[in-house]
Amino acid sequence: MVSKIKQLSLGVLLACTASAAHADIRFNGFASIQGGTTLSSSDRLYGYDNEIDFKNESLFALQTQADLGDRLSVTAQLMGRGSNDFNAEFEWAYLTYELNNQTRINAGRLRTPFYRYSDFMDVGYAYDWARVPNSVYNLDFNNLEGVSLVRFGQLGNVDSSLQFIVGSYSGTTNITPAPADLSIERVAGVTWELTQGNLSARLAYLTGKLTMVDQDGQLTGLLEMLSESGFADTASQISIDDARSTFMGLALGYDNGSMVLSGEVVRARVSDSVIPTQNGFYLSAGYRVNSFTPFVSFERRDNDAKADIYQALAEGNPFRERVAALVEEFAIKRDTWNLGSRYDFHPSAALKVQFSSQKDKVADRRDQLLTVGIDLVF
Amino acid sequence: MKKLLIASLTLFSSLCMADIAVIAHPATADVSLDEVSRIYMGRAGNLMPVNLPENHPLRDQFEQEALGRSPAQMKAYWSRLVFTGKGRPPVEVDSVQAKIEFVASNPNSLGYIPASEVTDQVRVIATIAN
Repeated sequence: MVSKIKQLSLGVLLACTASAAHADIRFNGFASIQGGTTLSSSDRLYGYDNEIDFKNESLFALQTQADLGDRLSVTAQLMGRGSNDFNAEFEWAYLTYELNNQTRINAGRLRTPFYRYSDFMDVGYAYDWARVPNSVYNLDFNNLEGVSLVRFGQLGNVDSSLQFIVGSYSGTTNITPAPADLSIERVAGVTWELTQGNLSARLAYLTGKLTMVDQDGQLTGLLEMLSESGFADTASQISIDDARSTFMGLALGYDNGSMVLSGEVVRARVSDSVIPTQNGFYLSAGYRVNSFTPFVSFERRDNDAKADIYQALAEGNPFRERVAALVEEFAIKRDTWNLGSRYDFHPSAALKVQFSSQKDKVADRRDQLLTVGIDLVF
Repeated sequence: MKKLLIASLTLFSSLCMADIAVIAHPATADVSLDEVSRIYMGRAGNLMPVNLPENHPLRDQFEQEALGRSPAQMKAYWSRLVFTGKGRPPVEVDSVQAKIEFVASNPNSLGYIPASEVTDQVRVIATIAN
């Protein structure tokens, strides 16, 4: 009898081990194949020039999720971007623990939830445009390593999704034309998304400590010279060293099945550094007619350079010209109109055509781009 | 004969839209259509929704009438959640019959079937009339 019970429990144990070893694994994927060209030989926009290019915005991604049982799962997303020669990198890699039906914790490499479409900005199939509006979606760092807690709930008849996130990021970016090492420490943020019927609203607030060091040493060299020459104040106003940074975003959406309206406005500040306040917004309107969704959108990016940094230097100051040139490189004023359509020609694929015209008010130039692409999910 | 019947039913439903019954295990209390829609959108977690395969006419009809979305919109909706670890689409079964059996044997599950095919294994908790 005893030995039978032992055998039985051994059997149960083996069965449990076997089921854990054969975790429920699922694969999903998405892809975008996009070709584009600017409309004249001098136009440059979003990485395109006047030669037809199918690589710049194309991407492939494969996601695998393993359900380990007991509310624990692991997810990894491997993505190859054409702009990076389709070298596959882990865009996401995290484990999920479901505390209960309303609350889940994700830990690992996550998407930083700056924007309404941050989470799925690479999944072109999930929206109507050819790309998320660049005037708003322009931070170089989309991911972080950290922990996020998402809580779903209801407030009366309003669905609520509240997310808290903490973590850090390190990578490279382009500061002025030169590449720079970038790190953001102590990222902490909260986002809150509310949906009622056809209406949705989203708020985001994130903070962090930003540090950037240029790789070619030109900026660092200038800062050292300024400090040694008695202009340490100017140097500290420029340097991006553990600078307190805040990000705020507000998005509104309306979708009644035919009419699709959306808008988002963001503001980012990096205190005590050469980086000026970053302002951007877009408004978009589309209308679904059978399988077609034509849309029009307008975007604006408006960053004033911190001119007071160099204006504090006397007219004859030998550094004034260099400092002014550096500071003014951060001025960005661009308006963009987009006109296009999505066409759902297949249950898992959408064809998109988009024309974009951007007016750069700082460089006083206009660049126009036409792209045609297919977005898939599988 | 049965196949012919199903085929003609499918044809019938795609032509003139049958009433849809939302079914649950006999032990389940009534749920409002609003709540059903929320459950199928992955926004409420107390009941487990069961779906039919993509391109099934009844699924297309249900999603249009109860959720107000086309198949492509639903796919776009789920792709926003699936790739971000925020949710998973409902489990799918192959047929209306398989769905009735699934719901009858899983106390917390929920399904939709043509009102004309309701059996006493399950309880109708809401109806979408046409």
